[in-house]
Amino acid sequence: MMVSTDPMHQFKIGKLFDLNIAGYDVSFTTSALWMVIGVLLLIGVLALATSKMATVPGRMQSLGEIWYGFIAGIVKDVNHAPGKPFIPLVFSLFSFIFIANIIGMFPYFFTTTSHIAVTGFMAIFTISLVVVVGLIKKGFGFFKIFVPSGVPVVLLFIVTPIEIISFLSRPISLGMRLFANMLGGHVALKVFAGFVPSLAVALGGLGMLMGGLLVMPLIVGVTALEFLVAFLQAYVFAMLTCVYLNDALGEAH
Amino acid sequence: MATETAGHAAEGGRFPPFDQIATTGVSQVFWLIVTFAVLYVAVAFVFLPKIRKAMEDRDGAIKSDVAKAAALSAKADESVKQFEAQIAAARANARDTASKAKAEADAKTAAETAKVEAELNARLASAEARISDTRAKAMTNVAAVAEDAAAAITERLTGVKPAAASVKKAVASVMGS
Repeated sequence: MMVSTDPMHQFKIGKLFDLNIAGYDVSFTTSALWMVIGVLLLIGVLALATSKMATVPGRMQSLGEIWYGFIAGIVKDVNHAPGKPFIPLVFSLFSFIFIANIIGMFPYFFTTTSHIAVTGFMAIFTISLVVVVGLIKKGFGFFKIFVPSGVPVVLLFIVTPIEIISFLSRPISLGMRLFANMLGGHVALKVFAGFVPSLAVALGGLGMLMGGLLVMPLIVGVTALEFLVAFLQAYVFAMLTCVYLNDALGEAH
Repeated sequence: MATETAGHAAEGGRFPPFDQIATTGVSQVFWLIVTFAVLYVAVAFVFLPKIRKAMEDRDGAIKSDVAKAAALSAKADESVKQFEAQIAAARANARDTASKAKAEADAKTAAETAKVEAELNARLASAEARISDTRAKAMTNVAAVAEDAAAAITERLTGVKPAAASVKKAVASVMGS
């Protein structure tokens, strides 16, 4: 495989085979391949974790229980009892994003969450879910979230548009945050890594020494940071999903 | 320059996340929905219920074990109480038996003492009776000897043999009995 020094090259989606459904081009791409691999990995780990359920858990079962407890804990803290039906959804969202981000940490693997089409759709789906659940649970009363109680009527003319704008900006910030974090981190890694051969080419042996001594530790550090970001962004997405769901489930604020 | 731009356009341009939306956006969203739906179904209907059940089973097992332990502990306490009650009863019983035995022994001792005392008293009384009897007998003998002696002395001094009655009288007056 030809190694490209172009930092954006890694985000290019390649077509593996053509597929057309109802006139739409839904070809199986590298992005689709890594989504399938990610989901298969998750299902494999979960299948291992739940293969032998015992009162005294083994290693894999403990992993599954900690994993579940982590997500259930977030949902319980933010949404309390009414959030319980959404635990599988938040669990799936977190796991899907987390495995995509972690897969992205391996060279030559494609980061599905580095494309706005994926993260943006996830964000729109989440916010749509909030609106649908809110309308089902509270009916027209759901729109009270735009009209904060206890605010003077005059101020409502200012506050309500702000609330509506902040609500509408949620899917944008939610999708953009994840996409930008993954993209930016990978670009930074690639650019820093590109310094090493660049220095070597420009300055010869001295450049190699500088690249090895100064740039490599930096790359190692940034890589470690990127692993943290991979987890953190999945956590933030899951957390914000719960917080937004609270508008639909919780008491009017 | 022109060929480079064309090449980039063919590969997806300079910024794939935006440039490739038109060509691959639908495909990305389609495969996202397919894979995420598979994951969600597996998670919601297979894996999470299993994990939840295992955790609930553990909670139940712990709770029932704790309840069982509490019941056993209560039973043990009950046994201890019973045991203590039995010990107390046995102790009271022993004390009773001991005091009864002591009372019996005391009574027996008292009875024996009384019997022995009575016997001794009886023997003492009979001994005293014998002594006084002997003394009385000895006294009568003394009177007879004194009469004889008085009659003999009187006869030797006066030459006259006194009458037995007067001697007896005189001796009796001297002896004062």
